[in-house]
Amino acid sequence: MRTSMTSVTAFVKSLPAGVLVRLSPAERLALIFSPLAIGGGVVTVLAIALLGPPFTDFLGANLPLVRFAVAASAILLMTVPTAFVLIYLELKVIARMNLRVGPNRIGPWGSAMSVVHGLKVLAKEDFAPTGADVTIFTLAPVVTYLASIMTLLVIPFAPGLIGQDLNIGLLYFFAVGGLTVVGLLMAGWSSFNKYSLLGGLRAAAQIISYEIPLTLSVVGVILLAGTMSTNRIVLAQSGSLLDWFVFRQPLAVLVFFIAATAEANRTPFDMTEADSEIVAGFATEYSGMRFGFFFFAEYVNVFIVSALAATLFFGGWTAPFNWPLAYDLNWFNPWSLGFFGWTAIVLAVLVIGTEFFAVIVRLFGGREWSAWDAMGLGFLIDLVLVVGILGLAGFIAFDWVHGIFWFMVKTYAFVFTFVWMRATLPRVRVDQLMGFAWKWLLPASLLNLFATATAVVLLNR
Amino acid sequence: MPPRQNASRPTTTGTRVQAQPQPSTDDPRIMLDRQIGADLFEPIPPYPPRTEREGEFYTLGDGEMFLNVGPHHPATHGVLRLVLKLSGEQVVDVDPVLGYLHRGVEKICENSDYYHVIDQVDPLEYISSLFQEWAAVLSFEKLMDVEVPRRAEYIRVLSGELLRIASHTLYMGFLALDLGGLTPILYGFIERDEIVEMLAALTGARMLFNYFRIGGVNGDLNHEFMSRLGDWMSRAARQTEASAGLLNENEIFVRRTRGMGVLDRATALRFGVTGGNLRATGVPFDVRRAHPYSVYPELDFSIPTRTEGDSLARYLIRVDEVRESIKIIDQCLHNIPDGPVMAKLPRLLRPRPGRSWGACEGPRGMMGVYSISDGSDGPFRFRIHDPSFVNLETVPALLPGNLLADTMAIVASLDPVMGGIDK
Repeated sequence: MRTSMTSVTAFVKSLPAGVLVRLSPAERLALIFSPLAIGGGVVTVLAIALLGPPFTDFLGANLPLVRFAVAASAILLMTVPTAFVLIYLELKVIARMNLRVGPNRIGPWGSAMSVVHGLKVLAKEDFAPTGADVTIFTLAPVVTYLASIMTLLVIPFAPGLIGQDLNIGLLYFFAVGGLTVVGLLMAGWSSFNKYSLLGGLRAAAQIISYEIPLTLSVVGVILLAGTMSTNRIVLAQSGSLLDWFVFRQPLAVLVFFIAATAEANRTPFDMTEADSEIVAGFATEYSGMRFGFFFFAEYVNVFIVSALAATLFFGGWTAPFNWPLAYDLNWFNPWSLGFFGWTAIVLAVLVIGTEFFAVIVRLFGGREWSAWDAMGLGFLIDLVLVVGILGLAGFIAFDWVHGIFWFMVKTYAFVFTFVWMRATLPRVRVDQLMGFAWKWLLPASLLNLFATATAVVLLNR
Repeated sequence: MPPRQNASRPTTTGTRVQAQPQPSTDDPRIMLDRQIGADLFEPIPPYPPRTEREGEFYTLGDGEMFLNVGPHHPATHGVLRLVLKLSGEQVVDVDPVLGYLHRGVEKICENSDYYHVIDQVDPLEYISSLFQEWAAVLSFEKLMDVEVPRRAEYIRVLSGELLRIASHTLYMGFLALDLGGLTPILYGFIERDEIVEMLAALTGARMLFNYFRIGGVNGDLNHEFMSRLGDWMSRAARQTEASAGLLNENEIFVRRTRGMGVLDRATALRFGVTGGNLRATGVPFDVRRAHPYSVYPELDFSIPTRTEGDSLARYLIRVDEVRESIKIIDQCLHNIPDGPVMAKLPRLLRPRPGRSWGACEGPRGMMGVYSISDGSDGPFRFRIHDPSFVNLETVPALLPGNLLADTMAIVASLDPVMGGIDK
């Protein structure tokens, strides 16, 4: 970086005097950084030419490893937009329920709000209070975040679209998901703050108590499906709407949903960060990106428990009814067009489409549209249309697009319920919370397990 | 107070502590830990305890710790500070610390003339500032033997009852907010905003009205106020029932308030608690009926009471009071006579030497003013009886034995406003 910056300075000094002043800021930037871009391009091409073949050989020889790496990074990357969408959804939905407007300044309808939120959090000072155990204080958000997102590995998004189809998928889910409490305890202990300590201990008590009914409520599903693999549990429900386990395990769904709410620390069980009691619980002393990780983990957790509820009880990616317009696109061989064919098609669609819509905008929009504005709008319309048509075609032709659609519909229905509950309900007290878990949820889940086991034994014989 | 020998610094519990001499170690981290522990976790007052109670409170028992709630806690109402002694999450003892908002309003009032007192007492209980004005004005009118025109009295009752409703809707919202419910407070603010805008049309200000005058009110009813009021009255009862139903029928809310912070009748009377908090213990004491003032004797309304004395009862009393206030406003609108809104008074007010007590029923209880005149143009002595202060005094009696989670909810159910408490 240092050498490149010196070369940039040298390049700027070598320019004729007065050139930079005559240029616009954007042009100035482009001129200054063009040597860097050209140099970077040359280096990239050389690297691909020299290192490419051995690298592809290595990849070809280790396909499972490659698959795992791709899945892991895809999941890691997926959490960021998921958290952004969830945060925006929560801000907006709760605002509407409170008769407010909610975020409406950044992006259309304030949709870029959570992105800017994320940037703000990134830009904040990295701070640890006096007396904090800095090592544990730093590690705590990492542990919580990793423990939450690692559970995404066994969530089946669509047929074939699953991080790793483990045969002990559910066991893995609950084992890894239970680790979040370690992070919360670490945060509570290391912050050197009594509010944090109380929050961390509350988190430990709450999550451990609710883990038991949560896990027990799922055992009924395992008995019915005969497997712990999440993928095969979805396949076991894939016949019709009536095959969904929600109709065979209604009590388990109820127990699961309540326990999952407590597990994700959501209202009415948000004891760990009750702002009217213990300020912000374990996160009291956190700021900046460390707090950002806790925040992310919280929202990703909501997504994960919603996804698991959809997977276990509502048929996962299976459609509630048979799509009547299924169409087989297998006659179409994409390789037959070749490189030039594809280039021609893409160019034609983009250029002709943009021009076409630009002309329409100029015709109907009147004189206030300059040629460039019209082209921009035309390009946007073209893009939206192309993406829409491709998405619709994909929805009709490919079952994984289909699967993702239904999976997301079900998951976000649960997410919406969580948000709804947050806007509606007050918080229960700590002792009421624990009493509810041990006196009601645990017996209910045991009853459900007993009934399911009896039914499975009787009906299978 | 003897001079302190060692360096000290404020702690999380707010008391100053002495750094204890520590055995030296080679490991600087251990030294640091010990210093921090000594400084922050052992609240030894640097002075001999001023009272027996203080000495008892700042001595920790086995497994107990101090927790400092406020003055900048997200849920304390204003700048209230509670030093809690906790055993686990259970509150063992509590030491409320006041005075963060003290402005010496009473002294300022003694240094100003009778006209200026009215805007000085406004920001005390800022949620319902008309009632301090009312108490001050009542006291001064007794000093000066002023006859207030009946139209002015009706306008006072009308605006006061409107403000009582605004205050109670906020109370319900904040109680729910301290129990973790997000929405009621925003609904409450919507309703309060309508009332406050209405009063702004009448008085010219949204919060600190400065509207009542010795011998009347500042201005007559105007068109904008009346049209807003009519618009609001057409749906007030329905809106009240809707926002009350949001909480009354909420299982979590009811379970978290029923039986919490029970204030029994004897304790309440001993402390001198007034207002809804007293009526929730079964004592039908309301200044509007007990020591009638203004035109309340002519109006038909009832004094709701309950016997439980817990947070839920205090909340339900407020809901009932809102209903009664709507009834009173309705009667005022029907009975209000024509006439002047100000008595004829000299420019310079110089009552004969004497003393007077004027009290009105505010949203939080009896709001009283005791003033002594020495014959000059301002009060010689001026004292304010603020109901929030008395109500807050019961907190150390209510909190011990409850959980930390209920601390704020119980305090919120007493409805203190720190502006009035600290004066």
